[in-house]
Amino acid sequence: MTWLNILKHHRYKLGLLLLAANAAVLLNLAFGTPKAFSEWNWLDILGEGGTALFMLFWLGLVIKSRPTGRVTNYLAYGLCFMFFSWWVDVLDEFIRLPKHIGWDHWMESAPMPIGMILLTIGLFHWHREQQAINQQMEKRERVFREHRLFDKLTPLGGAEYLKRQVSDCLAQSIEQQQPLSLLALDIDDFASINQHYGHAEGDAVLQALSQLLLLNLRRHDLLCRLAGDRFVVLLPNTGESQARLLALELQQAVQSLAHKTRQHGERVYLSASTAVVMAVNEAPDELLKRLNLTLVRAKPPRSKRA
Amino acid sequence: MTLDSRWYEADSRFIAGHYQPATLIDLAMSRDIDSHRLLRGTGLFYEDIVAGHARLSPQQCFALIANAQRLLEADDSSFLFGQRLWPGHYGPASHALQQAQNLQQALETLIHHRALLSPLLTPRLLLDDKYAYVYWLDSCGAQEQLRFVLEASMTALMAMSQWLSGERLPWECSFSHPEPRYVEQYWVHLGENTQFGCQLDMMRLPREYLTRPWPNASAIARQVAHQQAQEQLHGLGFRASLLDRLYVYLRDNARQAPSLEQTAQHFCVSQATLKRKLNKHGTHFQAQQDQARKHMALYLYQIKGLSNEAVAEYLNFSDPANFRRALKRWTGCTPNLIRQFLAL
Repeated sequence: MTWLNILKHHRYKLGLLLLAANAAVLLNLAFGTPKAFSEWNWLDILGEGGTALFMLFWLGLVIKSRPTGRVTNYLAYGLCFMFFSWWVDVLDEFIRLPKHIGWDHWMESAPMPIGMILLTIGLFHWHREQQAINQQMEKRERVFREHRLFDKLTPLGGAEYLKRQVSDCLAQSIEQQQPLSLLALDIDDFASINQHYGHAEGDAVLQALSQLLLLNLRRHDLLCRLAGDRFVVLLPNTGESQARLLALELQQAVQSLAHKTRQHGERVYLSASTAVVMAVNEAPDELLKRLNLTLVRAKPPRSKRA
Repeated sequence: MTLDSRWYEADSRFIAGHYQPATLIDLAMSRDIDSHRLLRGTGLFYEDIVAGHARLSPQQCFALIANAQRLLEADDSSFLFGQRLWPGHYGPASHALQQAQNLQQALETLIHHRALLSPLLTPRLLLDDKYAYVYWLDSCGAQEQLRFVLEASMTALMAMSQWLSGERLPWECSFSHPEPRYVEQYWVHLGENTQFGCQLDMMRLPREYLTRPWPNASAIARQVAHQQAQEQLHGLGFRASLLDRLYVYLRDNARQAPSLEQTAQHFCVSQATLKRKLNKHGTHFQAQQDQARKHMALYLYQIKGLSNEAVAEYLNFSDPANFRRALKRWTGCTPNLIRQFLAL
């Protein structure tokens, strides 16, 4: 989303905030007198002004990164109120109000608890929302998240994410005395799909495949894209024979996927090779290397084109 | 002036923007990268490239590659670029490549028309009785972008040869850089036998694959395309880069190890100019000299199967200790170690 779009979606909130902040300035100026430069307390200005700016920055991040909706509104309004409170606090560093005026204390202190309550409600719902999203991330993510390791094309983890997970799971499987298997799946002759239908179609096939493979996995499995058209599934608590069965199922699923090209709706026929290894006492790198070598041996020799 | 007496340099603007650079731009844009951000700092405008007017220097290509790498933030960018690179849509040279009747012809086209097909990296072909070797040399001082260009070019040759031949070819790749963090990209795109930390950036293949006929090729179409590409080269006025030509000169004269002065004379420039030009490419004369002599030594060992003494004698080392020291400096290995490596 561009900033223009964001401003459009949140125009009422932001407009109100702008109005309120300006009204506060005007009210202060109308009833008070500006402080002389020598009276300015720099530490307070820096502390309170800095906090206000941080609130504004957080507000920006929240509305920029989140889709609009209930949770976003709670978070945004909470931050708006908190910003306003700090803003009024900063103003009295520059403008002195007569002693008999009481409303400025209200303006300064009342929005803060309101903002806190709104933000807390927002965060609580955000937590619930995150749990719902985690459910959707099942089979694509385990325990640990690092967005820099996401694959750029498919909604899966990349090779680096897989390596971390493999080393974690290896340690876990040794600790719990449970088998751990890895499954690799590679599309046969994927280059020819790129050549026949274009690279954009190849990308679409990979995206469709990643969804298809996810559907065919169990809840605790983890699917990652290693590189190119090669996927790896991490299978905790799984022995080799069970892994082989899963591999066969995935292979059949790929074969019966009737992917249609985006341009002409042609059916793309796909087939895949798979390989399975069970972890024995070895380093994660060695395990992945062994998996890949097994896969290469399992690949059929490429047939001559007609 | 003939084609062989002139050269291009890192700042010669001759690479058509709608050729290889467009392939990279298309790749980046298919990943939702903004074209303005991609071209920032390269001195190029997207509109010019689309209109077919833009001519890039190798330096601008490197800047574009650096931008693309930074914005794409993915380990497979070079490999994806390589897959799209050849035969490509680079005028008659691409047609000649497409119509090659076997791998040997494709390699000949690639090498002969490298200024059009592979302006940043020079491919070279060597044969012994078992294998065909293709090794790659930096044409224009790629520096930080060298690895990207190497990955892309090797992937490109592999992808093109498998596509046009219609079979999986048992290429084996070796790289001079150490094994990178993203080694699985090499496994998938270049094969499991890829080696790292080697003496040369090289691919090899059993020799019989060179002459196996490729389907769908036309000899006449290839011949015509070849001639048209040759005219295009004449239009440019050169077919090799300065570093490329310097390499050939120094390798052919490896026995005499010509001095900077002699070399400058051969290229009809002053010593200061040659030095300055090499500096512009991020290198210096001694480095080029060492590289050429190292390659000559490796060639004599590997292809000619010469002994330590014979190689030392060929390269005019009077003293075996001097030869050992020189070889150690070039390759980091002693003569016997080198022989062992090559025997693998």
